[in-house]
Amino acid sequence: MKKSKKRSGIQKRYLKYTAALLGLALLLSSFGVMLSVRNRLTNSIVDKYEFLTERTGLTLENMFQQTDEATAECIFYDDVQESLQTQGLEDVKHIALSKYFAYIDLDYVADYCYVDNKGNVYSRSYSDVTYQDVEESGFRRYLGDEYSRTKWFWAKDTLFGTDDYALFIGRYVRSLEYAHEPGMLFFKMEDGFLREITGMNQELTDEAAVGVIDRSGQICMSSSPEDFEEGERMPDDIAERITDRQETQASGMILAGEKVKGGILSAYLDGNSGMTVFSFVPDRLLNEGLIPIFLVLAGIYLLVAVLAVILSIYFSRRFTKPIQVIKEAMTEFDGNNFDRTIDLHTNTELDEIGHSYNKMLDNIRRLLDEIKDQERELRRTELNMLISQINPHVLYNTLDTIYMLARINKEETTMRMIQALSKYLRLSLNKGSDIVSVDDELENVKSYMEIQQIRNQSLFTYEIDCQVDAAQTYVLKLILQPLVENAVKYGFQDIFEGGVIRIVVKKDEGVLYLSVANNGTSIEQSMMDKINHMNELTVSELKECFPDKKHGYGVVNILTRLRLKYGDGAAFYCEAEADGTTCTIKIPGDGGLKDDEK
Amino acid sequence: MMRNEKCRAKRSRAVRTAAAALLLAMLVSGCSETAEQTSGGEEEVTIPMILIVDSSTGIKNEEELITEFNRIYDGKWQADVQWIMETEEEYRQNLKRQNVTDTLPAVITDLRMLPAFYYMMIQDGRIEELTEYINEDEEWKAMIEPAVLESCSEEDGSIYLGPISTAAFSCSGMFWNEELFAQAGIEKFPETWEEFWECCEQLSACGITPLALHTEGTAWAPMLIATAEAASTEEGAAFMNEFYPDTYQNESGLRIAQTLQKLFRYTTDDALYTDFDVSYDNFFSGQAAMIPNGYWMMDQIPEEWQDKVRFSPFPENKMVSSPETFGWAIVSGYSDEVKEGAAALLKLRTQLNMEQREELFSKDPEGMIPAERDYIAAYRDGPQLVPNYQVKWNSILQEETLGEILPDLALGKMTPEEFTAKEDESIAQFLEEQ
Repeated sequence: MKKSKKRSGIQKRYLKYTAALLGLALLLSSFGVMLSVRNRLTNSIVDKYEFLTERTGLTLENMFQQTDEATAECIFYDDVQESLQTQGLEDVKHIALSKYFAYIDLDYVADYCYVDNKGNVYSRSYSDVTYQDVEESGFRRYLGDEYSRTKWFWAKDTLFGTDDYALFIGRYVRSLEYAHEPGMLFFKMEDGFLREITGMNQELTDEAAVGVIDRSGQICMSSSPEDFEEGERMPDDIAERITDRQETQASGMILAGEKVKGGILSAYLDGNSGMTVFSFVPDRLLNEGLIPIFLVLAGIYLLVAVLAVILSIYFSRRFTKPIQVIKEAMTEFDGNNFDRTIDLHTNTELDEIGHSYNKMLDNIRRLLDEIKDQERELRRTELNMLISQINPHVLYNTLDTIYMLARINKEETTMRMIQALSKYLRLSLNKGSDIVSVDDELENVKSYMEIQQIRNQSLFTYEIDCQVDAAQTYVLKLILQPLVENAVKYGFQDIFEGGVIRIVVKKDEGVLYLSVANNGTSIEQSMMDKINHMNELTVSELKECFPDKKHGYGVVNILTRLRLKYGDGAAFYCEAEADGTTCTIKIPGDGGLKDDEK
Repeated sequence: MMRNEKCRAKRSRAVRTAAAALLLAMLVSGCSETAEQTSGGEEEVTIPMILIVDSSTGIKNEEELITEFNRIYDGKWQADVQWIMETEEEYRQNLKRQNVTDTLPAVITDLRMLPAFYYMMIQDGRIEELTEYINEDEEWKAMIEPAVLESCSEEDGSIYLGPISTAAFSCSGMFWNEELFAQAGIEKFPETWEEFWECCEQLSACGITPLALHTEGTAWAPMLIATAEAASTEEGAAFMNEFYPDTYQNESGLRIAQTLQKLFRYTTDDALYTDFDVSYDNFFSGQAAMIPNGYWMMDQIPEEWQDKVRFSPFPENKMVSSPETFGWAIVSGYSDEVKEGAAALLKLRTQLNMEQREELFSKDPEGMIPAERDYIAAYRDGPQLVPNYQVKWNSILQEETLGEILPDLALGKMTPEEFTAKEDESIAQFLEEQ
């Protein structure tokens, strides 16, 4: 069976959220950056064409200035001034003046015509323009109400009779000295004149559609680059847009890179000539500059995204791998194998988790061992108890019989011993609760001491000082007897008489103290330390304190039972006195109560 | 419940994150636009002007007036003056060229020195009628001297020339070199024309050229003396009051020609075919003892000459004066705002002239230069004022004919009769061209 590699849930989520956040951040930043770049780049391109259009507009102004100066020279010309005077010009001068206009400082003049204030016409020698033609052409109206301003106008050639549309330059010619009627001067310009204006800015004409439009919205000239693609054409309402602006602005840039259908429109109005130079830049040109930048940006974002994903996977693995190890160790723990510990070195909190797990595993193992030991002990104890309870009646009956025989024989010592033993056994063999009243416990220990007194004549006497209500105070049974046994066995090992055993039962601040003191040999310091140290050990460790089983069994037994019954608050400790030893049992809080009162 | 709260918390976090990202993106995309600042208030109106810089002294004409005007009306009107280095004659010719090319500035001067051109400007509606401006401004009206207003008014009462001047500053007489006079033993300026000629003789006898004259630029200096002399008779005075005289072939015309011929006997060799600047240099270099001119020359007297130069009316207490010769006018075709500012400029000019007159007349004579002291004394003495020929005679005679025929008359190549005949030809030509 093929085992598929299962990806960690945390890693999956981490990757999912990281990818979502990264995607959102990249999307928003790319949107913002691209919007910003697009705006700035578009503005930059638009500014460029706006500048080129303005430059072309300035060229237009210069061209107008040239025509203004050229016509001014004509006005100042002596023969022209003379022609305005009352007598007019002689024939010779008339012919000369007719030729004069062909040689003025103005290029692209297709035809010209000067009419003085007496109706004399001065034009090319082959021209047959008459005064009547001038009047009928209606060109006078283009000169306007102003005194003597140079005028440019785009009109159908009704003066020279070609009927084509052309740019005309006209001006009133006035006398320098006298209040005469003015003459009129008209120049018809070739198409090249307007192309000269746009042609001076080759960069603009190579890339954008350019043209010249008059105040009435007539397009006087327009040209588009050869590489204009199909469908790229100037908007139809271009004239309308420009004339609208002409009404609100006297001169200068009247359209500064305005967005129109299919591109950007810029226009410069020359207030003197009334002509407007415009340029139309198709969207294609704007986008041409944007595409490479957008491609580079897209490449950068793609690279960032790939790097981010790789780094996310790498870092997520670094963090989720230890978690995976912990998870596997925990889920695969079967309750038996305590050797599978976790070994992490990530320098993060995960190391502590692993360490805690290992510690927990160790504790569980120890607890299990303890439980097993206790179970074993319990079984053995129960077995022993069963054995000892095989037939207590036989034992009591036998003791009664012995007592009767001793009485018959008047052996009082034997009688006392049998009585004491009988009392002792009654309590010791008593089945049921392991809790007895202090009264019973003292009774039991007294029986034991009496037996020991019979065995060891004059060895010791005993005193019992019970400062509590012995009938209503309860303790674990058979806890004083081992202490008295040790006092007799070890305390009085070096004396033969005069020994005193003093038993004190008292309560202090809710804690019950039971102490057994002897005035015999003091306990050895090392033994005392060892016994007192046992209070700091666990129940399972207590059993290891006296491995030889020859000594300390009573102490271990008392302390184990106290701890099992009353918990860690219970204690047993010894104190070496100047003459003797005092062993004290400490039972905390509710230790002096019966089980059912707890 | 807990799960829902957690979900809400998650959603809230997601919304906050998205908002922060959007804000960042907006910042990156540069959403903030630089607001254009606009300034309120009306725009300052520019009043274009052309004024000349005196080629001899380098002094800008009317600089004080322009500075004061721009100071007073800062933010409302601004006189935008183009200072050009040219003679008065060139300035006047340029006026004509600017007119036919429709490039005249808003305020022009010297217009009255070109009588034909002046009337053409009126006829073609090229200059503003000022009556309304003056009548509506009582303050201005009060500053104007009646004599000046009259001289600036046309026969029908219309006013096209700014009555800016004061008669006190428009009189011409004779500036004379006291030192040279003393060298010839002459203690005072002659009081009769006979004495004047004797004075010339006496100066000549002492090797001193009596007069600084010239023939170009309407022959201003010799014409001042000759026309003043002609006005000695009743007939001559009437002749000088005529506008566009029909003929010069009469007693007064002949008398002027004879006087001109006689005057050129007492002048420098370089007087012919030269303009007034040569005469000025001759007088202020001590090469001639007398030069005729108006009050405005006081400012042009070099410092080292101020103690030597004296001023006197022409003999028989005559001074040539036409206050309208300054000829300031406002050009039509400008906006009302510009024309209003131009009128304010003319008013200020009137005010400054009035203040200067009052200051001059109240000034301690001891603090004046001798010529200025003489001028005030002469003006207060009530001289006979002879009209300036420049505002009366046709422009062809002034600008072309005089310059052509005067040297011949001076050299004796032409008789006074022939001279007057030539003058009459100019009248015919003028009428023909007109």
